[in-house]
Amino acid sequence: MVEPSLSGVLGLMQLTDSALPTGAFSHSLGFETYMAAEQLEDEASFSAWLEMFVDQQLTFTDALAIRLVYAAQDFERIEDLDDLVTAQALPRQIREGGMTMGRRLLSIGARSYPGDWVRRYQQGVAEERMHGHQATVWGVLARGLDVPEDTAVASHVYATVISLTQNAVRGIPLGQNTGQAVIRAAQDWVGRAVVTSRELVVAGIAEEVLGAVAPGLEIAQMNHERQRARLFMS
Amino acid sequence: MPETPATANTTTPPAGAAAASPASGWAGQLRLTVAARGGRSYAARQFHEGALRVLRPHYLDRSGQVTYTVVNPGGAYFGADSYLLDVAVERDASLALTTQSATKVYRTPQGPASQEMIVRLGPGAVLEYVPDQLIVYRGGSYIQRTRVDMDPTASLLLAEVVTPGWSPSGESFAYDELRMRTEVRVLPPGAPASSAAPEGAPPSPGAQVAQGVDPAGPAAGARPRRLVVDQLRIQPDAHGDITGTGFMEGHSHTGQLLIADARLTDEVYELLTAAVDASETRSGITRAGVGEPYGVRCVCVRSLAHSTPAIAALHRAVVDLLREHWRGQPPLNLRKY
Repeated sequence: MVEPSLSGVLGLMQLTDSALPTGAFSHSLGFETYMAAEQLEDEASFSAWLEMFVDQQLTFTDALAIRLVYAAQDFERIEDLDDLVTAQALPRQIREGGMTMGRRLLSIGARSYPGDWVRRYQQGVAEERMHGHQATVWGVLARGLDVPEDTAVASHVYATVISLTQNAVRGIPLGQNTGQAVIRAAQDWVGRAVVTSRELVVAGIAEEVLGAVAPGLEIAQMNHERQRARLFMS
Repeated sequence: MPETPATANTTTPPAGAAAASPASGWAGQLRLTVAARGGRSYAARQFHEGALRVLRPHYLDRSGQVTYTVVNPGGAYFGADSYLLDVAVERDASLALTTQSATKVYRTPQGPASQEMIVRLGPGAVLEYVPDQLIVYRGGSYIQRTRVDMDPTASLLLAEVVTPGWSPSGESFAYDELRMRTEVRVLPPGAPASSAAPEGAPPSPGAQVAQGVDPAGPAAGARPRRLVVDQLRIQPDAHGDITGTGFMEGHSHTGQLLIADARLTDEVYELLTAAVDASETRSGITRAGVGEPYGVRCVCVRSLAHSTPAIAALHRAVVDLLREHWRGQPPLNLRKY
């Protein structure tokens, strides 16, 4: 097991902190559609939704994208991955949310942890050649911080879990203690996302299955666009 | 189970396919190039081998569009077998491509059955791909990869329905894994309409897919640009379930519809949204795709339902709406011969 350096740990803690101003507090990534249908009303139903979300979207999109960034040999590959991970996000709000949060993360990260790839990423986004998807941006920043790959995957998935749970605590609403219980339980699912995504890389199909999810979640994410009363942007 | 990534440059044919078609490695392959002459579309080139062929073409209306029906004489896709559909629609030609019956995938203990589809659309070309439903039975695995390279002035519509096969235990969802990946790229304006492989020398499965895009574009710096990647994956979750929240949401059938066209204006999008709302399905519609590469826009519709006809009716409504709106063409009336 490779340990991250102390500076890597501190950088990681800063950039995956749920208080980092990326706007994550305004995205439900689909759960608000289920809320509106009165399908998410308590700890059990939100936990089941979150576990599905980790197994599906966070494993097959975010975790794989980060691993592919770690495997990249040159920055042209990063450009292609940024494009690929954005192109596979069919629901408009998910695609735009991933870019909005990613661009904020890139801007914050570039100021604190500048590096060649981070600079080129910023330049690509400024020139509208690149999209700035959150997962690929995080992969580039974590690589620059020498964060080990599994840790980079786990910390991003876990940060998303925490943001979503905090949003559910406010939105559904759930009690604060309930939220913490969900986050504790989710650590197993985060571990599974790390293992499953690693297996997909080993099997040589990471790029082919990047973004492959079940239909129900995507339909809910699409339908959020036309939901009347909304607390969240996605 | 080892499998061949789409991008792998392998020349080893899949194990199960060798017996069926030793020459190419495909258990079945169909290559079809449709061109237009005097406003009428026709097959300029056609090649089939193994377990895929086409019926004689039909002209279902007076638009000049040709309709081809793919036939699978074997009646099903078999485990570890790979099937190739290679379709080119040249300048101003129009093709409706359908199937004679449902595509069936039974138990695949040898490994997943797979279909590779390669499509090239030239300037002003139209492709409506409206196959019958895909049925994956108990113990079956199926992987489908579709790659489209289109001119910015071409029009693409892909509509597919996936249904569960019958299972002795009565479970609707007994298949092992289902994956369908469609990637659409837009060629720079003025790129050659067809970069079809030379006839008579069909390459092996892996090599064929790898050469999907010719990097040597017409103008320096103008590259094919990715429009969208549409992914569907259905596999039992960590609790062995496939029917619940996020997955099939209690439904048995799923549908996917992808449209890529420069004319997908807000007005057209509103019409499509109304068609989705009027449907009996549980569907989502969204503007998909990145940017608007060379001006091309994309809309995706994803559906859940309890029957094939419910989804097919929505797909047909969308097809007919676009035919009327963009081409003044009558509704698609696919008689099965």
